Amino acid sequence: MHRKWSAALIGAAMVLGGAAAAHAQEVLKFGGIGPLSGGGTAWGLAAQRGMEIAVEEINAAGGFKAEGKTYKLELIMYDDLYTGAGGKAAAERLVNQDKVKFIIGPVGSPPALGVISVTNPAKVIALTNGYAPQILKNDTPDPYNFRIYPTNIEFGPPLIKWLKENAPEVKKVGLLAPNDAVGQSVAGALAEDYRKQGFEVVLDLFERGIKEFTPLILRMMAQKVDAFEFDGNSPGDAGLMLKQIRQAGFKGKVIQIGGPGSDEIIEIAGPAAEGFLSYGVFDWDTPAGKKLRPIYEKKYGKGIINQFMPAFYHTVFMLVDAIKRADSTDTTKVRAALDAMDGFDAGIYGPVKWTGKESYGVNRQLMFTYYLAEVKGGKLITKAKFVP
Amino acid sequence: MLNATILGQVFVNGVSLSAIYILVALGFTLLFGIMRVVNFAHGEFAMLGAFALFYLMKTLEWHWAFALPVGVIGVAAASLVLEWLVFRWFYQRMFESMIGLLGLNMMMMFGAVQLWDVHERNIPTMSGDVLMMGDIIIPVDRLIVVIIALTALAGFYLFIRHTRAGLAMRAAAQDLETAETQGVDTRRTYKIAFFVAILLAALAGALWGQIYAVSPFLGERPLLMAFIVVILGGMGSIPGAALGGVLLGFTESFVGTFYGAAASAFLSFGVVILLLIVRPWGILGTPEN
Repeated sequence: MHRKWSAALIGAAMVLGGAAAAHAQEVLKFGGIGPLSGGGTAWGLAAQRGMEIAVEEINAAGGFKAEGKTYKLELIMYDDLYTGAGGKAAAERLVNQDKVKFIIGPVGSPPALGVISVTNPAKVIALTNGYAPQILKNDTPDPYNFRIYPTNIEFGPPLIKWLKENAPEVKKVGLLAPNDAVGQSVAGALAEDYRKQGFEVVLDLFERGIKEFTPLILRMMAQKVDAFEFDGNSPGDAGLMLKQIRQAGFKGKVIQIGGPGSDEIIEIAGPAAEGFLSYGVFDWDTPAGKKLRPIYEKKYGKGIINQFMPAFYHTVFMLVDAIKRADSTDTTKVRAALDAMDGFDAGIYGPVKWTGKESYGVNRQLMFTYYLAEVKGGKLITKAKFVP
Repeated sequence: MLNATILGQVFVNGVSLSAIYILVALGFTLLFGIMRVVNFAHGEFAMLGAFALFYLMKTLEWHWAFALPVGVIGVAAASLVLEWLVFRWFYQRMFESMIGLLGLNMMMMFGAVQLWDVHERNIPTMSGDVLMMGDIIIPVDRLIVVIIALTALAGFYLFIRHTRAGLAMRAAAQDLETAETQGVDTRRTYKIAFFVAILLAALAGALWGQIYAVSPFLGERPLLMAFIVVILGGMGSIPGAALGGVLLGFTESFVGTFYGAAASAFLSFGVVILLLIVRPWGILGTPEN
């Protein structure tokens, strides 16, 4: 009896195997890198999930065609531990071991710099995030990397200008940021932007991990700041700061130029979030947002969705479109196709645009429409829209 | 920048910080004092306490006065499974306990990530009101936290001083072998001490989550704070934990406000290093033989 079952199973397996072979398609493997452990996990998971949803969608639609073949996508995701060495190691593994030609991610500056130190010499395309200007502005003669998410170099000055025009009572801004590579570079640059537009700035850096910001808030209030600014903080910390600022009796404006994650901030701060001004890049009330939310919730459960999720989802479509346009998986051809993708619209952000020539010397900085929103009755209401 | 309002606010803030730090450190020092276990997973029990309160208050919509004791006792009771599976093997084995429980810490943290995802959640507030004393603002939720912490501290003191179980714990802490020859059931005593320590950790975590936020990474900071407090006050010393908590809370509040966050962190850790050099048993601890 037992032997009969085994034979039947082997037979079935052979039939299935044969059927699978008949429908075999080429598989295009691409790499994903992001922090999947430690403090940046929320961002890494968002990136991974965005890419996974895009891959499933593309494969369910039958894949895509290039070089006369039909490709299905496969994501190979590695953790970068949110460090430069981790990013480098992940990229080396993807390039040398898994032989991928395209990498999406990572999220932060230190791992992004690690990744491009591997991918550029290997002529592997890297579509990274990360705030450091050096990701685009470096000595690499013929780089293969792009940045898929705007930084405060792009959106900072216009948003500060908006604040100057619409809140003339604000003269002195208090900046609270974590004392690490991210906080120092983001807050330092932002403070400079504020000063350039005539604001006085009080900057205080704290060790990442603290949850009690009241002493720092009191310190700033004693220096008579008119507004608080949180850029460079995780959404969880920003939410706590907002709550503690209001509990300390501060009545002025609170703003975050950069570091999207407003849903989480509102969740943590509760009623204290009222009036909070925040930069945002993705509107969940658009048709794309309304379509994406239920897919995400079905797969990963209900909860707050990090704004990096749609960004990485979008990037997979952009990469696939570039491969289709190049009709090749050759990275030099795909790079040329990517360079020519001004106006590409995957239905997520509207038409996108490459910028960055002035700031970084290359037009490899993706820009899309962004917003300034205000919290009213626990909801974000768009106050101003900025089209690049 | 020095005026009465700011000073008052700094004082209020110092009291509320101290209360939480004491709660976090009490259970930690108890486990060390009695079982010689350095509980690197302490912060994770705080995290569980916070999640328990989150589910009872947010999902089941219980009132906090009901949800807090049920959640905290529930976590402590459920943790007895871990006592049986893991902790009991490390009793009186300090160095092994550090490594073993560091592993447990990671397992619990990333288990929580799998279970609850990474984003931060907000526990409905116990009270959104503020009390005004002149120009000084006292958030009512912080006041409740201080009262609960003081009550827990007093209850704990009475338990240790005036119950048979408390007496057995003190005896076991002073001299294990003599206590056993005098008929102290150490296995049972350890179980009770573990339960009480986790109860305090879960309570600290629930209150921490209540005034801050809840996430699988909640435990990291309380663990660090517990370490500083306990090293300041003396490993295993209960009055030491109270004193260490007050010192750390007020240092953070005063130095943070007047000299900034970096100075505050520098001073806290600087004092810990200095103390480890000149008086490694802490302010109120006793030197190891």
